[in-house]
Amino acid sequence: MIEGNDNVSLTRRSLILSGGGIGIFGLLGTRLYHLQVRRAEDYSALSENNRFNYNIIVPSRGRILDRGGNVLALNRQDYRVELIAEQVKDIDLTLSKIAEVITLSDPTRERIRKDIKKHAKFVPVLVEDHLSWEDFSALNIRAPEIPGVVPKVGEGRAYPYNGVFCHVLGEVGKAKPSDVENDKDPLLRQPTFRIGQSGVEKGAEQRLRGKAGRLKVEVNAVGRIVREWPEANNRAKAGADVYLTIDAPLQEHAAEQFGEDSGGTVVIDVQTGEVRTLLSMPFYDGNRMVSGISSEELAVMNSDPKTPFNNKAVRGVYPPASTFKMVVMLAALETGLVNPEERVICTGHTKVGNKKFHCWRRRGHGPVNLVQSLQYSCDVYYYEMAHRIGIDTVHDVAVRLGLGQSYDLGIQSRASGLIPNRAWKQKNRRDGWWRLGDSINAFIGQGYVLSTPLQLAVMTARLANGQQAIRPHVIIGENIPEFADMNFDPAHLDIVRESMRQVCMVPGGTAYRDLPLGPSGVDMAGKTGTGQVTGISASERATGVVHNRDKEWRFRDHSIFVGFAPFESPRFAVGTIVEHGGSGSGRAADISRALLQKSLELDGLIVPPPAEESPKEPGGTL
Amino acid sequence: MNLWSFFWQKIYEINWVLPALIYMLGLIGVAMIFAATDGVWNHGAQQHLVRLIMAGGLMIFVALIDIRVWYHLAYPIYAGALALLAGVHYFGVVKNGSRRWLDLGITDIQPSEIMKLAIVLALARYYHDLGKDRVSHVFGLFGALVLIAMPAQFILQQPDLGTTLLLTMTALAMVFLAGINWRVIVAGLATAAVAVPLFVRFGLQEYQRKRIMTFFDPSIDPTGAGYHITQSKIALGSGGVSGKGFMQGTQRQLEYVPENRTDFIFTVIGEEFGLVGGLITMLLYMMLIGICVWMALQCRHRFSQLLVLGLTATFSLYVFINLAMVMGLAPVVGVPLPLISYGGTVILTVMTGFGLMLSAHLYMQSELPRGGR
Repeated sequence: MIEGNDNVSLTRRSLILSGGGIGIFGLLGTRLYHLQVRRAEDYSALSENNRFNYNIIVPSRGRILDRGGNVLALNRQDYRVELIAEQVKDIDLTLSKIAEVITLSDPTRERIRKDIKKHAKFVPVLVEDHLSWEDFSALNIRAPEIPGVVPKVGEGRAYPYNGVFCHVLGEVGKAKPSDVENDKDPLLRQPTFRIGQSGVEKGAEQRLRGKAGRLKVEVNAVGRIVREWPEANNRAKAGADVYLTIDAPLQEHAAEQFGEDSGGTVVIDVQTGEVRTLLSMPFYDGNRMVSGISSEELAVMNSDPKTPFNNKAVRGVYPPASTFKMVVMLAALETGLVNPEERVICTGHTKVGNKKFHCWRRRGHGPVNLVQSLQYSCDVYYYEMAHRIGIDTVHDVAVRLGLGQSYDLGIQSRASGLIPNRAWKQKNRRDGWWRLGDSINAFIGQGYVLSTPLQLAVMTARLANGQQAIRPHVIIGENIPEFADMNFDPAHLDIVRESMRQVCMVPGGTAYRDLPLGPSGVDMAGKTGTGQVTGISASERATGVVHNRDKEWRFRDHSIFVGFAPFESPRFAVGTIVEHGGSGSGRAADISRALLQKSLELDGLIVPPPAEESPKEPGGTL
Repeated sequence: MNLWSFFWQKIYEINWVLPALIYMLGLIGVAMIFAATDGVWNHGAQQHLVRLIMAGGLMIFVALIDIRVWYHLAYPIYAGALALLAGVHYFGVVKNGSRRWLDLGITDIQPSEIMKLAIVLALARYYHDLGKDRVSHVFGLFGALVLIAMPAQFILQQPDLGTTLLLTMTALAMVFLAGINWRVIVAGLATAAVAVPLFVRFGLQEYQRKRIMTFFDPSIDPTGAGYHITQSKIALGSGGVSGKGFMQGTQRQLEYVPENRTDFIFTVIGEEFGLVGGLITMLLYMMLIGICVWMALQCRHRFSQLLVLGLTATFSLYVFINLAMVMGLAPVVGVPLPLISYGGTVILTVMTGFGLMLSAHLYMQSELPRGGR
């Protein structure tokens, strides 16, 4: 049975295979040595890489304050409740238990279910945020009985003044895809991070944002955090506070003055260009925007004819109307084509060719000189100027006074308005030739001329300053370049300013009030304007002029006023437009006057008037 | 002779060194599964221990049955296994994309596992009967080819590349041991050099080809198939010489190595016990295999010798392929580390195999029908 030969061969061959096996073990052992000894460090590092992740910590956003330290934007503790799906057995039961404490709408439940499906089971899903303290504490008491429900305290942006500063401050929101593309800061990819989307929030984003912190966390293969390893040098750095030149009490006062009216007003320090007030009416509540506003509400606001979202102070363009007359006046004096004492006779209209141009006062002003032309706001005087001076000269003066250009306040979306000249019309209108009629319209601030409340305030501030071409700004600490010299003859400016004083302080002036600006008899100067919204139609001409009050709101004239005070040593300039507010000598003049008075009071330049002079609605909500 | 005393006589005669080594490796398995499941006793460790004990009973039972019974059962077992494979092919249950299981009502079985033993039994019997001289003969070669090819093609179609390779390589080792002519070996190798690339191109499923490609370059698919290899190398490499300590492996704790309870259990040994632990484990396997070879060479007839050596080859190939795979030297083919990896079927197969080896050794004096010449 045993064949020697055979067995020798089998033994030999089994030993060959055994040798092969030993060889393989040798190879495997060498490989193990290579992996575990020679390359141990590399693989240890890789293992650490696997093990640790850095989580981004979102820093606290800087606050925004007014010049007096009043907080306009801050971070408030935001009470929210989250749900960790893996700890929940029955979602419906859990949600109904939560609903016993706080109300959960059906869309919210739907969103929660969707979010749970979208994320890994251990990722917390938001149930509801912006909870009241009562709801939050009630949930905290119930939470231990409802597994998977986690009450949390986060940070949310809040605007204590509700809406008064909404157009200045803007608001924050989730980063848009375009933001993420342009800004490589890892913070933008954090779901809880909010970026400035408009206003100062956007303009001063870099200062407000702060620096992301990093938290070293140990994670497992599916990304669950197993442990945290805080490192001192990786803490988040909070954003810096930003102070504005705005004066909160003044801004609130302005809003009170406007009441239900729509429009914008800007108060500027004529020496520094600091913007004390920048208000657009009506406003909206920035807190609602941050906490999420329903699309229905949004649609209502968007279709509001008073356009709450539009920042009318910097983006609303209106014909400056008679407030433009200072520009023409200064241009006339600069060219020397008019003698201040010369009188132009106003009969109530001027005829150019076969077209009649009316003065606002149908029966005319009679003979008026330069100063009176402004005091009474005689249109015919300026029609006469249109015959004498070219539009290009007026354009040049207007630009020197700050019209027709936009100002970077660090709050974006601003309009540059329009100051026309020959070249502009050539380029932009089919009927390219500049005609006398164009000048006649332009010289009373109608026609092609457009400006914003901010520009009107700047113009007035420059007139009041007399020397420097001040530029406005709202953020304190921004680099302000030296103001250029305007190079106007001081004697000419004195004439313009004196005319403006007579508008307000001398009986017959369009904004004359038999009330002093302060007990010490501080004078103010200004100019009214009534911006036409529609031309006077042929039928109106036939039936007689329809009174402004009888027109539909949206066809009524804009009420415009610019002014500065004190007259002797100017400090503040104001530009106000009340949309469809009627004559400039009414609403806009009242508001501007109140604002100049209040700003002087706030700076201690005049003593507050006695108590009966207090606002009509005492102790308003603002 | 009293049956009882015969029983005890045989129990006494069993080569107990082999079961001792088996249980040392098995207990390493219990400890590592315990670690791999984060120290939860009943997530595998307990089951593994119970299976080892029960399969140990089976091993002794198989060992006590006379080798002559196994000689006579060799072809019937093979035929039965082949029938089951055919059954799987036509009625099998699909799990994880391949058709490997047969639902018997009570339990699912994996006929390819039975075939691993059956092929060895059948080839041992075939070469025993054939005799040495006719091994390289055309008919001798043809018979072996049929015995190997029939199950191999069924298993390949399941598809289960790992088991096919294991089966084929075991069979080829037995053909070699049976004394095949060197000229045939050279001719066979030449044919293989031509046939293997063709087979890879046309005979493999897409996922199998992908696995082989990612083995050569894991970065092709770092999160898919390459992920296993990369993470497993990281686990081993970060263990260093002495390891991170029992239950201290971070790769293991953080679940970076998938299937580290089953096929990738060696990464846990490597990460927590380092090079020392890895080499000790390998040394135990070497000793176990060495004893098997020694047992084979003690046997007196070709059937027993080829049976033991064939089963040893199967076991060794399990170990080699698994270790090479874990260390990134071989593609991920889904071969467990026998005795240590969690998984019932493997334990059953391997322990039955050891039972057969013990039986061959125990009954080495038994008279078997004379082989042909």
